[in-house]
Parts: sequence; C-alpha cells; structure tokens
Amino acid sequence: MSALQLRAALLDRRRFLGESGMGLGAIALTHLLSRQRLLGASVSGKEPIRPLISPGEPYAPRVAPLPARAKNVLVIFCSGACSHLDTFDYKPELIRRHGQPIPGGEKLITFQGEQGALNRSPWEFRPRGQTGKMISDLLPHLGALADELCFIHSMKGKTNTHGPGENFMSTGSALDGFPSLGSWLTYALGSEDQSLPAYVAIPDPRGKPQNSVNNWAPGFLPAAYQGTEFNATTPIRNLARPSGIPENRDQATRGFLRDLNERHASLYPGDSQLAARISSYELAARMQLTVPGVADLSSEPEHILRLYGADEGGSKVKDLRAAYARNCILGRRLVEKGVRFVQVFNGAYQTGGEGVSNWDGHKDILNQYGVHGPVLDKPTAGLLIDLKQRGLLDETLVVWCTEFGRMPTFQKGSLGRDHNPEGFTCWLAGAGVKHGFSHGATDEFGHRAVQDVVTVHDFHATLLHLLGLDHERLTYYHNGIERRLTDVHGEVIRPILA
Amino acid sequence: MDFLFWRQWVVTLALSLTLVGAESPLPLATGGVVDFARDILPLLQSRCIECHGPAKQKSGLRLDDRMRMLQGGDDLGPSIRPGDSAGSPLIRVVSGLVPDKKMPEKGPALSVAEIGLLRAWIDQGAKGSESAKETAAPVPHWSFQPVRRPMIPVGYSKTINPIDAFVRAELKRKGIKPSSEADRTTLIRRLYSVMLGVPPTLEEVEAFRVDRRPLAFERLVDRVLEDPAYGERWGRHWLDVIRFAESNGFETNRERTTAWRFRDYIIQSLNEDKPYDQFVREQIAGDALGVDVATGFLVGGPWDIVGSPDPALTAQQRADQLDDMVNTTGTAFLGLTLGCARCHTHKFDPITHREYYAMTAIFGGVRQGERALPRSAEQEAALQMEIEQILVLEKRLEKYLPKPVKVTNTALLPPVNARLNEDSFPTISARFVRFTISSAGGGQPCLDELEVWSGSSNVALASHGTKATANGTLAGYEIHQLAHINDGRFGNTRSWISSVSDQGWIQLELPQIESIQRITWGRDREGLFTDRLATNYRIEVAESVGQWKTVSGSDLRQPIGVVKPKKPEYRFEGISETESREGKKWLSDLEEARKRREEFARTPMVHAGIFSQPKPAHRLHRGDPLQLREAVTPATLDLFQPVRMEESVPEQRRRLTLAHWITRSDHPLTARVIVNRIWQQHFGVGLVDTPSDFGRNGTRPTHPELLDCLADELVHPNRGSKEPMPLPWTLKRLHRLILCSATWKQSGTPRTEALRIDAGNRLLWRFQPRRLEAEGIRDTILAVSGSLNRTAGGPSFYLLDVDRENVYHYRPKEDFGPAESRRMVYAFKVRMEQDGVFGAFDCPDGSLVTPRRTASTTPLQALNLFNSRFILKQSDLFAERLKRESGASIRAQIQRGWELTYGRRPDRFETDRAEVFLRKEGLPALCRALLNSNEFLFIP
Repeated sequence: MSALQLRAALLDRRRFLGESGMGLGAIALTHLLSRQRLLGASVSGKEPIRPLISPGEPYAPRVAPLPARAKNVLVIFCSGACSHLDTFDYKPELIRRHGQPIPGGEKLITFQGEQGALNRSPWEFRPRGQTGKMISDLLPHLGALADELCFIHSMKGKTNTHGPGENFMSTGSALDGFPSLGSWLTYALGSEDQSLPAYVAIPDPRGKPQNSVNNWAPGFLPAAYQGTEFNATTPIRNLARPSGIPENRDQATRGFLRDLNERHASLYPGDSQLAARISSYELAARMQLTVPGVADLSSEPEHILRLYGADEGGSKVKDLRAAYARNCILGRRLVEKGVRFVQVFNGAYQTGGEGVSNWDGHKDILNQYGVHGPVLDKPTAGLLIDLKQRGLLDETLVVWCTEFGRMPTFQKGSLGRDHNPEGFTCWLAGAGVKHGFSHGATDEFGHRAVQDVVTVHDFHATLLHLLGLDHERLTYYHNGIERRLTDVHGEVIRPILA
Repeated sequence: MDFLFWRQWVVTLALSLTLVGAESPLPLATGGVVDFARDILPLLQSRCIECHGPAKQKSGLRLDDRMRMLQGGDDLGPSIRPGDSAGSPLIRVVSGLVPDKKMPEKGPALSVAEIGLLRAWIDQGAKGSESAKETAAPVPHWSFQPVRRPMIPVGYSKTINPIDAFVRAELKRKGIKPSSEADRTTLIRRLYSVMLGVPPTLEEVEAFRVDRRPLAFERLVDRVLEDPAYGERWGRHWLDVIRFAESNGFETNRERTTAWRFRDYIIQSLNEDKPYDQFVREQIAGDALGVDVATGFLVGGPWDIVGSPDPALTAQQRADQLDDMVNTTGTAFLGLTLGCARCHTHKFDPITHREYYAMTAIFGGVRQGERALPRSAEQEAALQMEIEQILVLEKRLEKYLPKPVKVTNTALLPPVNARLNEDSFPTISARFVRFTISSAGGGQPCLDELEVWSGSSNVALASHGTKATANGTLAGYEIHQLAHINDGRFGNTRSWISSVSDQGWIQLELPQIESIQRITWGRDREGLFTDRLATNYRIEVAESVGQWKTVSGSDLRQPIGVVKPKKPEYRFEGISETESREGKKWLSDLEEARKRREEFARTPMVHAGIFSQPKPAHRLHRGDPLQLREAVTPATLDLFQPVRMEESVPEQRRRLTLAHWITRSDHPLTARVIVNRIWQQHFGVGLVDTPSDFGRNGTRPTHPELLDCLADELVHPNRGSKEPMPLPWTLKRLHRLILCSATWKQSGTPRTEALRIDAGNRLLWRFQPRRLEAEGIRDTILAVSGSLNRTAGGPSFYLLDVDRENVYHYRPKEDFGPAESRRMVYAFKVRMEQDGVFGAFDCPDGSLVTPRRTASTTPLQALNLFNSRFILKQSDLFAERLKRESGASIRAQIQRGWELTYGRRPDRFETDRAEVFLRKEGLPALCRALLNSNEFLFIP
C-alpha cells in the first residue's frame, strides 16, 4: 500500500468509526457478567462466592477469598487406575501372605468377578530418602524424591468403572456433565497470563483418557472455563493462521473485522456482550502469537531434556517415555508462564484397551506395568526436580492421582489385579503441603482404606482450600441447585497442610 | 432464682417424685411445665443446631423447629414422638442408647438435667416451637398455588395485548419508558432468528419492508409459524431441556443409531402444533397412546453400559438411570428439582424422600434399548390382507405344481431361524398352548416372544389376560424373564431363557378358549443373537389340560443348515395358453404380495423405552442402592392432588397416570413452566430466571401476573370471549401472542436513563440483542453462503469421525460436504465430544439437562470462527455467491454482502471502507470478516 493509500485508509477508518459520534471509548465495560443473582440460601448456609467477571476478560486474575497457599496447580492423572500396591503402598503382610486366599475373598465380587490369591507386587519395595519411605522399584526416580512428596494412602472412591471413576476424580461426580476441577478453579480465580489459556489439558501422546474430554469439560460453567486441549505434538485446534492466507491479509482482515464490530457496538453503548466478543478476538490473536512459543520445546537445553528423559529414544519404552516427557516439559513451561491449571495425562484408551496403553492391569501386570512404570517415572520425577530448581514448587501444587486403586489379589485365572475403589494412593507435592509425609492407611493387605479415610470429596476440598477457596462457598447455580465441586460432602484434610 | 438453679431444683424434685423405669437407663423427665423458648431452644441452639440447623443438616436432620423434628433425618425417622419421650430417637441418641450415634458429636454429652428437660418437653406434647409458618394457615409457595387469571392492570385497555399491559404497568411503576418499535428490517431478522434460526431471504426482507398494509407483521408471523424450520429451531430448545443425545456417554459412549426418530418426533410435534399436554403425555407414556417413539424421552439420558458381576455397581447404575428419568421428568415438565430428594427429604420444597422413591416406582419398569416400533393398525391390516392374498394365490397355483409333489402335506417348512418362525395350522380351538423344546445346540434355549394368533390378534399377550408358565428360568438375569415371553416386546433384552440346557417348555393359558391358526416365535427378533435357538420343538394345544394335540413342530421343518428352503416349482408348459398366462400372472402377483408382506411386517427400530412390570421399589437410605428400606408404591407428588397407586397397577398405567396428573388443566406448575420456557427463548431470560426450578429456592417471577395470564391463556384460551373457542395448550398461539406484542417488537437500542434503573433489562424496556447459539450460527452461515442443505429429518449426519471399537472414539471432522451442510439439529449428537468449531459456543452435550445455556465469550470461539477450515470454505462459497449474484462490480458485491449478512444496505462510509479493504485483500477476506462480525451473529 502506498503512503497515499494508507493515509486514505486511515482517514476512512476514522470517518467510519466516527460517523455515529461514538468511537471505542463509548463502549464501556460497565455491565458485569449477569451472574449476580443471589439466592435466598445455599445448602451450606454460607454466602456463595460470586467472582466478578467482566465478559471481555473472563480470565482476568481474581483474588482468592481466603489466603491461598498455592497459585497454580499441575495435575498428573494416571488413566486406567494405577495400582497403589505396586508403587507407593507398602504392605509387608501382603508379601508374607503371598499366594494365600484373602480372608473373606470367596464373597468378594469385584468389577470383573472373582478373586484369586493375595499377590505381592512383582517389584521390591525399598526405603527411600531421609524418611525411609518404602517405594517400589517400579518407580525409582520418584522414589528418590520421597522426601518431597505428601502421600495420602487412604483414598476412597465410590465407583469401580473407569468412566465414572475418572469423572469422579476430575469433576467430583461419577456422572458425565459436571465441571472439572480446573474449570472451577479458573472460574473462581482466572489466570495470571492473558495471552495463554487459563486451563490446559495435555492428553497422553497415545490419546485421550478413558472418559475423554469430560475430564476437562466445563459442564454447566460457562464454556470459557473449559480446558484447552493440546500437547507437545498436537497443537490447539484452529490456533494457527490458516495456510494459504498470508500474514498481512490475516492481520488486515482482523483489523477490518474490528472496525465492523466497533462501529456496530457504537450503536449499543454499554453492551458488554458485544465488547466481550471484540476482546475475545484480541485474546485469540495474542494466544496465536504466544502459544506456539510456549509449546516449542526447541529452546530447552540438553540437560533439561535429559533430566526428563526426553532426549532418548530407540526402544518402545524410551520413545513413549520421551513423548510423555515432552508433555511434562510443556506442563512446566505453562506453569512457569502463570497458567492456572495444567492437567497432564499419563495413559490412554484410544490406542490400546485394557492395560495396553493405560494402567488398567487386569491380565498381566508384570509386563504391562513394566512399560508404564518407566514411562511415568523419570519424566514425572524430572518435572518435580525442574519445578523445584526454578522455585516454582513454592507456588505450584503438584497433584498425582488416578481414578481408583487395584486389588491386593490377582483376579481368578489371571496375572493382574481388578479394580478397587475401596483404597488407593494419591500424592501431592509443592505449595502448601507437608514434605516427606504420609497420611492415612489401608488395611494390612492394602484392600480398604481404614485409617484417616480420605474421600475424593475431601481431596477436592483440600485442593480448593490450598488455592484459597472454601469448597462450600464455591458454588454455581444450575438447573435448580447451587452446585459444588464437592456435592454436599468434603472436609479439608488438615494434617497434610504445611 | 437463676435459671440454672431452677433447673437443678426441678430435676431434683423430679427424681424424688417419678417412678424409675426399671429397664430404662434414660434420665428422667423433668417435672413441671417446660417452656420451649425459655428451656429448650437455648439448649438446641448451643448443642445441636450447628450441625442440624439451617446451615448444615448432618444425616439430613434439622432440629430448629418442631415440624422439622417430626420430619426427621435420614436414619431414624421422626426425631420426636410427642407424648413419648422414651421412644423418641432424639432422646435415645443424646442418651447414648443408639450404638455409633452418640450425640452431640462434638463437646461433652448432654447432662442428665438437660435430657430431662427435653424429655419433659416431648412428653408434654412438644409444643411451643411452631414457627409462624406452621401456626398460621400455611401459604403455599407461589408456584404451588392455582393459576388465576389476573385482572388487566388499571388504566390499560382490555383490547391491548395483555403482555404489553402488564409489562408497561411495571415499567411505569419504575419510571422507565418502553422503547419504540424496531425498524422493519430488524423485526424480520429478529423474527427469523428467534423463530426459525435461519435468516430471511432478501426477497422476504424487501417484501416486508415495503408492505404498508395493516397487520403486515401479523401476517408475516402467521407465515413464519407455518415454516417447518420452526420445529427445527424450537425442537433444539426442547432437546436441551430433556438432555437428548445420540450416544450412551461414559467411557464406551456408543452410538444410538435410531435415536434420530425421537428427534424427528419432537420436530414434527412442534410443527403440527400438537397440544402441549398431549406432547407431554406421549413422552411419558407414548406406548399407551400409539406413539412409542415418544418414549425416547424416558431413555434419552446417559447410560453406563459397562456390565460387571459386581452387584453394587449394577445396582448403582440402575439407580442412576432411574434418577435420570425422575429428575428429567421433574425439571422438564414441572420445574422441580426432584433429584434433591434422592438422598433425603428436599431441603426447600415439600417433596419427601419417600415421594422421590414413589416416583422411581412409576419408572421402575422402564429400560434403555433399541427396539422395533409396533405395527400401526393400518400396517397390521395391510399385512393381514397380504397374507390372505398369498394364501389364495398359493391355493390357486397348486394346480401348476408337478402332480407327484403334494406341497400342502409333504413339503417341509423352512428350517428354524433365530429371528422369526411361523407355524401355521388349520384353525383349532385352544385354551392352552404348550411349546416344548428338546434341543438348542447345547445351550439353555431362549425365546424372545411367543405369539398365538387368532385372526389378526395375538391372544398370547399378557395384556390380553394370558398367563405364562415354564419349566424354569435361568436365574440372575433381569433381561431374561418369563414375563418377557408374552409382553409384546422383542429382542434379547426382552427374552426368556430356560434353566436347563437343551430343554424347556412354555405353557400359555389363554383367558378363554380361542380359535387359533398360527404361532410365531423367535430367539431374537432384533436379529442380534442366534445362539440358544430351539432346533427341536413341538407345539401342542389343548382345550383343557391333558388333552394335548400336536399342531406343529420341528418335524415339519427342514433340518437347520442342511437343505435350503425349496421353492415350489410351478410349471406353465403343456397347458393352454390362457391357463399358462393366468398362472404366470398369479405367480407374479404372489411374488409381489410376498414382497409387500415383508414390507408391511417390518417396523422401524428406535431407541425408546422398553417396558416390563417392575419389582417393588424401596426407599433407599441416603440414596444408597444397597440400603433398601421400606417398600414404596407408585404415586405422584403430594404437593398437588396426589394420585397414589397400588403395587399391582400395571407398569404402563403408572406412567399414564403420572402423565395425566402432570397435564391436568389445573396443575399449578405445568403451564407456568412451559410458558416461562417459551418466554425465555424469545427474550433470552424467562420471567422466572430459574427455568427448571419453580420451587422455593428458585427466583420469583419478575411479572407474576403476566406469567399467570399467559399460563391461563394457554390452558383456557380466550376465556370469557365470544370468539369460537381455540384449542387449549397450543404453543403456536402463545408464540403469536408474544410476537405480536409491542414488548417483543421494541427496538434493541439501549438508553442511558433506563440502563441506570434496570441494566439487566428484566423489566423489558427494550429487546436485548444476544448472540445466536452454536446451531444458529452454523445454520445462518450456511444459509448466507448459499450452501445450507434443507433436507429435513431422517438419520443424523456426522460432524465427527467415529472409531467404533469397544470404546467409541470421536474426532471432529474438518471438511464438510453437502451432507454435512444440513441444519445442526440433524447432526449426530454425541455425548462429551463436540464439533470442532461450534462445540466451543456453549453447546451442551446432553449429559445433563440444560434448561438455559450459558453464553460465554472465549478466545477459542474466536479462533474457531476465524481460522477453521469450515469458515474459510464458507467464506469462499459466500464470495462466489456474491460474484454470481451481483457480477463484477465491487460496490454491488459489497452491497449484496451487507444485505445477505445484515439484511440492510451499507452506508457510504461502510462501502468506502469495504472497498478499500476488498481491493487489497479480496472478496473471500471480506466475507470472512462479515461472517465473524457481531452484527451478523447477534439476534438484533
């Protein structure tokens, strides 16, 4: 465009916007999102948290109502139900009674049916770190970090199928359609960075988890709070400028669109929805510029790649491990930029059913976990070390979880363990929780949580608490009910708080 | 005497005077008159209310007034029995007599004196705690009161649209002026967006713009209401309300490939303006009304099909299904949150824990699945005609058979097949029919249905009065029950399996002696299973037991898999030409008739309710399906004219009873709820902005009288007028009333002085513009680019690719052809997974009911609408259309583009600016911007 043309175009734009006497300045973002309706009473009797959200800035950071111990959250979700008995829950009695029937076992009908004998883990347990925490040889790198971790050994779920189980851990309801933890958090707190999504879900390189996008769905919360799905290999859908459209044309079209929208908005002064759509294109443009940079791992130095195990390939396990490791590095980069909630998945159902590419070890735990353990171990440990060395662990809460545990017995006629929601292990690390600490316990075989039982609702209540949110106050009205992440349950697990 | 001292004194006195109950370790009741406010309330407040009061209700229990104590909690029933303190759970619990339930949980136990006071209060009748609500005649919550037609506000003419009278009266009270009428272009665009979800054509806009006749708008409204796009648009709203989707949800998420018939039913019902009460009845009990497809409503929810031998899991899955039905029925039709009473009595509304389970008893016989629709009466009649025709023709053709072969007696029937077998015999009188199996390929034999035909009626049906007995039924499978043998429903999930391998018998006892000619039976008429097929069988009939006559059996059939069924070989040679011609004609008629028989016999498959008589329902303690409490018989809700049923009431009648109860013309909720839903889709917000909660925890209507006026008008149209009576419950009439109001026709322009008083526009001083929903945007883009495919109804098209493994995976498609350019209501609705472009526009996935969509604005929406292949292709198509329709002139192209997207011409400034842009960046770029612009995407 010649200088003359440019001048003409600019003048034109000024006339274009000025015609009705109201430019952008008249478009006031005065009317806040219409979620201000206060109900007579919520079930908990407490005043619900009603974040003030400007429709044009749905992710603007919001101050937590209570003192927050963590600023952001990084979840590692092992899809398929990772066995606590082969990883973190050491049960000497199970080893001693290996091969014997479990007392009362003849009456035990679990997900796939009858039980065989008690079976010790094929992996030895050894004391780790200063605390001497017993962790199995399946996860030596994580074992070495035992002093950093805060274990909950008395987790209890309420369903023994994967879909409902994943829903329960990710959304607080076993049914489909409820908002995920990350959606609740970003709805309440927004995010630090306004050029990245507030909530990122990073599926396993092998595909999506068993209950797929319901793990990061917004449910009945506004769609703005859904997890944005991408990983180190698959970018955000429709993020990139379309091929075949040169950059300057893309920019010009964006500018022309903005003119159209601003001119139209000037006829509706004070209409926040119109203003919000204008802002959303600006936010999208910023994301388009920023996300590829964050997702591009090429600037990561060799020693970092090595720390995560992202540098090595050449065998099936190493290739898988490197791919998962790259997702872990991506997770760290997002947290580093201030993304509020990052959910990294380990395990998928898409590329191999039962136990093949996920933790659902019904048939052959030795060989299947023999792959999954090393894939999970080094990258996850690397992630913790990296977060710590960058000082990020002080403000980031790392959550390792899975949908439920597995049985101390092998299934009748099989070399693997059936589902067990009665007792399993999760751990936390980083901001706000004790280090090198273990809370609760399962029975002598690791079958049922018996001491300081922690329900998934308690777990969620604690996570919200660490972010400065009272789980009884974080509510959203849907279909006649002030809904909560924790339904009508949940108690904060005080003993694990630092 | 201070209070404590007085209490001590009374207790001492009581101890000295009252006879000690020998076996009761309870502290004794205090003597003297106890005053609730003085003696009891402070005690409750300091020790009980924290956990059992307004804030928390542990175990579902509140102790802050007498009514709630009488209501009790989840575990122990009513907490107090006035006059019987020793038998009152409250006393037993605070005295530590109930194991594991020593109260209060926190702090020290109550003292002997405190317990004594409580006992005395209960023994004296537990008086004095009645809240004001309880003592005064209780005023029911507004929505539980009868609908009453209100007077038109003073100062407004009776001839004015009543909507305007009520809205303006309220505006006047608040000192806000209503807005003037929007211009014609805005009105027609708004009308099409709201009512049809697609934009008007240029010709339609122009015709309306220049139509200066009176009632021009009214005429336009009438035309729009007759447009079948109305059902497509408003059908989608209803499908949101009732959580419709076409996959099961959860991890397997399999497709329901025949659920689209229900979607079509909804669209058609709206288009033909089916009265709403009938529409409701059909969805709850359509099988009783000849509209089986409508029962897709009952089973439209998610379904966890992952089976397990674990009884706890199986029970939980079933309880969740029932909850889905109860809850969806409650919210959709009644605006009640029935689901809240699943674990305990409703905390806000008068719905008890027990009433919830009385509702589960109504739906207890409903199961998910795919099944054949029953034949219509016409279809059945046509089928019988064909069968008779075939018999006649076969008889006539007998003379063309080679002489030695006597087909009538010796030709064997085709071998048994798993789907359907027919055994015909000369008419015989029978009271009993016995089907005896002596071989089934080694398995326990399975039959899905045994039909006995007397003419065209199946006299074997249980509903006909026939009773079935059998040797024994395979234990432990709800899908394999004896009752399924004559329930009129087909398929493996509705079948009977014998308890013994290779053996079994079914005996049917008809209500009276019947003349029968034909027996039909199969293993799985849905054609999914072929195992367990009875290969050796015999059929006997008797007028009384013991006098069995064999009428048919496998002896008359070719052995399975050995010989192909042989067609009789008719010969037309060696006879006169006339005879030969006649014979050939009959044979061709016969073949035609057989084809038609196939045609008429077949009925479509559909995902709809499958019904059987349920086992008694129980109240489930805290909603736990393993903690059965007392049995509960079916009943509608107590809050309005309850209908209670005996356990013996047949399954179908339970639902029909509920349906009639919901649609009573004097039901206080039904009409109000649907009027409000319709209002909401017109104005963006309902008069009640909690559309599925009309209970105490919902909000009150902004215009209660208007709501009642419209509700009454819906049910009693034109009450008091001399006009001929229009049909009640017709929704199009309600639409017309709303659309033709000045309130609806107001301009959308905001005004500062009105914004200051009512920024949210709840008083309706303007028509507030709002963004189209996902479906509306996609349909409108396709319409404007000229690629919208208006094929209506039928199987869904796919916006996602499907990997059909054990667990189904769906991946958004990127490229779409004409098949995918139909309206989005026809897109296969998958739970969880969403379309790659429009899923981000707050599109619900059907996992939960969505009475009101969220309307968020997100960068992902902007990315999808600006960068997706969909939008680029539509921009190209739109550009081609502009060139095609307005030639090479750039200014003409711009004008056309404005007209098609905004319904108006660009002004000079817009044209100039667009021209500069277009000359540099090209027409597709201009189109891309227009299709992303607010003016295009907002209902004006």
